[in-house]
Amino acid sequence: MPASEGDRTFGLVQVRLTITNGKITAATAVDYPQNDPHSAEISAYAIPALSSEVLAKQGAGIDVVSGATITSDAYARSVQAALDAAKA
Amino acid sequence: VVARLVHVEHVMGTVVSFDIRLDDESRRAAMSAAVAEAVTWLHRVDAVFSTYRADSQISRLSRAEIALDECDADVADVLALCARVGTASRGYFSSTYAGHLDPTGVVKGWSVQRASELLSAAGSRNHSVNGGGDLQLVGEPEPGRCWQVGIAHPLHRNMFASVVGVRDGAVATSGTAERGAHVLDPFTGRPAVQLASVTVVSAELTLADAYATAAFAMGHAGRDWLESLDGFEGFAVAADGSGWWTSGYPKVGSLPVP
Repeated sequence: MPASEGDRTFGLVQVRLTITNGKITAATAVDYPQNDPHSAEISAYAIPALSSEVLAKQGAGIDVVSGATITSDAYARSVQAALDAAKA
Repeated sequence: VVARLVHVEHVMGTVVSFDIRLDDESRRAAMSAAVAEAVTWLHRVDAVFSTYRADSQISRLSRAEIALDECDADVADVLALCARVGTASRGYFSSTYAGHLDPTGVVKGWSVQRASELLSAAGSRNHSVNGGGDLQLVGEPEPGRCWQVGIAHPLHRNMFASVVGVRDGAVATSGTAERGAHVLDPFTGRPAVQLASVTVVSAELTLADAYATAAFAMGHAGRDWLESLDGFEGFAVAADGSGWWTSGYPKVGSLPVP
């Protein structure tokens, strides 16, 4: 991995979902799963959505935002724009 | 507190944010000049490569009005890069779109990486360059702390799906906002619909960006493909709100605690 290993400043928790007939039938907190690329087991992890304010409270203040290509209009309303405006 | 030099440039149909952390204020003038040089470079790239400009070299080359050897040398380099990425991605990356020459999928990452290299050449040791959500990161935002990169949640505006910590490296995210509406699966000609976004973390943005686009087109199969590559980690949010990541992703990224 050429990118340097990041400092994980907060805990990693995922929720493992059991999906039966297309419906979520169980959700279990799991610890740091390692995806096995050769596993045929079907498992999915619900991806949480958190605001930058909540992340900051968790000790994961954001410096910069990565996301799918942003238009100039969308930029004006983005967290990246707020980070750019907050010149230290 | 480390001094910041921030510049926001609207170019290439998106927004490029420069965030340079200065060792001391005496560096500000030199870094401002370096940013100006990088901005000039990005506008030059737009003029040469934009598929939205009828007079760009790419548009004229696509219409066979000019030959490759009449274009800037960068054009041949970028097309060769497209060919390499096409092969590496088993054809999922394509430099044609709707029958026209369109190297857009590599141009942004490639040009933003070059912009970062211009800053480094001018002496910057700590900066981020964010080209519409695709990042090249150098050094640290503050001594002893890596850049904390929020991965935008593709299904919730201004919320985050993951956080990646990077010192020297690149983070690229591809998703449905690209090319206006969609990334096409080149094998079906239809929009790729399984995923909402794919993030690739690597050393350099050129390939991170191109591989994120290819993995997005692959859909769920993109995980095994990214897993097979040395030096690339991936994280995806699917259209249904579930997600996957490569086995090495937890070394650089984490999921926020709900």
